[in-house]
Amino acid sequence: MMNYIWGGMLLIGIVFAAYRGVLGAFSEGLMNSCTEGVFFVIGLTGIMAVWSGLMNIAKDSGLIDSFARLVRPAMKYLFPNERNRETIATMLMSFSANIFGAGNSATVFAIQSMVMLDEENGHSPIASDTMCMFMAVNMSMIQIVPVTIIKIRSDAGSTNPGSIIIPSILAGLVSMVASIWVCKYYERKRRK
Amino acid sequence: MTNLLGAASLCFIPGMITIIIAHGLWKKVAVYDSFIEGAKTGIKTAAEILPFIIAIFIGIEAMVSSGAMGYLEDLIGPVLEKLGIPRELTSLILLRPVSGSGSLALVERMVTTYGADSFLGNVASVMAGSCETVFYVIAVYFGATAVKKIRHSLLAGLVGYGTGVIASVWLYRIWEWH
Repeated sequence: MMNYIWGGMLLIGIVFAAYRGVLGAFSEGLMNSCTEGVFFVIGLTGIMAVWSGLMNIAKDSGLIDSFARLVRPAMKYLFPNERNRETIATMLMSFSANIFGAGNSATVFAIQSMVMLDEENGHSPIASDTMCMFMAVNMSMIQIVPVTIIKIRSDAGSTNPGSIIIPSILAGLVSMVASIWVCKYYERKRRK
Repeated sequence: MTNLLGAASLCFIPGMITIIIAHGLWKKVAVYDSFIEGAKTGIKTAAEILPFIIAIFIGIEAMVSSGAMGYLEDLIGPVLEKLGIPRELTSLILLRPVSGSGSLALVERMVTTYGADSFLGNVASVMAGSCETVFYVIAVYFGATAVKKIRHSLLAGLVGYGTGVIASVWLYRIWEWH
């Protein structure tokens, strides 16, 4: 799947660039973007180390265990197959970091959740139900206060920069319900 | 309400750190050693996702800088209009699933061009605030695993995204009207 999408993106790009005669700018853009990718990961590495370190403390102190027990009922609907407390806690941390606008931390927790889910899945090449559901919820999990957007609006002279908060939350919820529904549909279909 | 939510967001990181460290010390955990141990795995994971990030970055750049993205916009614009979505939002709708920073730059431009309190500026803001970077997330998250078959996760993400886009426009219309 990813092979065709990614390969297609590059090849279509090259064809278009050649057709429009912008191959020079195209190559330059490509080279710049890979450097950007490296810088992005370097920025992420520090945050990743900090949260992994802190989560390790929370694991050792038993905080994760109690936290996971507390939220178990709510997570049970979404992830009926998930038994590992540490994974549940990490997934939940990713959701909360997202909601509170700690975007990079949310990415870190999400990647770590995926690593744990991969282990539970026996490093299988086929994604588990839990992985798909986690991705679906994560992709539609939104920030309660979209700080950057509010900043953009107030810089542009909006009279009420925060007015978009409630419609954003509502639209995000609608989108989340749709994603969860798709996952539940496929889970049910597979069990039949 | 907004201030309260803003304060909660502000307190998230310091609050989490306080709880984790205080609880660790209380339970007599060697917090420093434990932190180092965890940080090591964090750095390993970061190194592992680097190739996936570079791959997705160049893939997106190829589409944008070649003008292929612009062609797609012309193609789907009329379809979106039938769903009640203004044509001016097309580029944002296409860019958002692949690039977070790129789509924010676009929102900024739209808000300045059409006016901070205009319908288009506001809908663009709602969209950026409620729709996620689907392709990017899938590439990076699955990049950390051994998964080759991603099953229905892309579909779930795209259905959620499409619903979110339509909901942004219509919810904002209702919101403004009330």
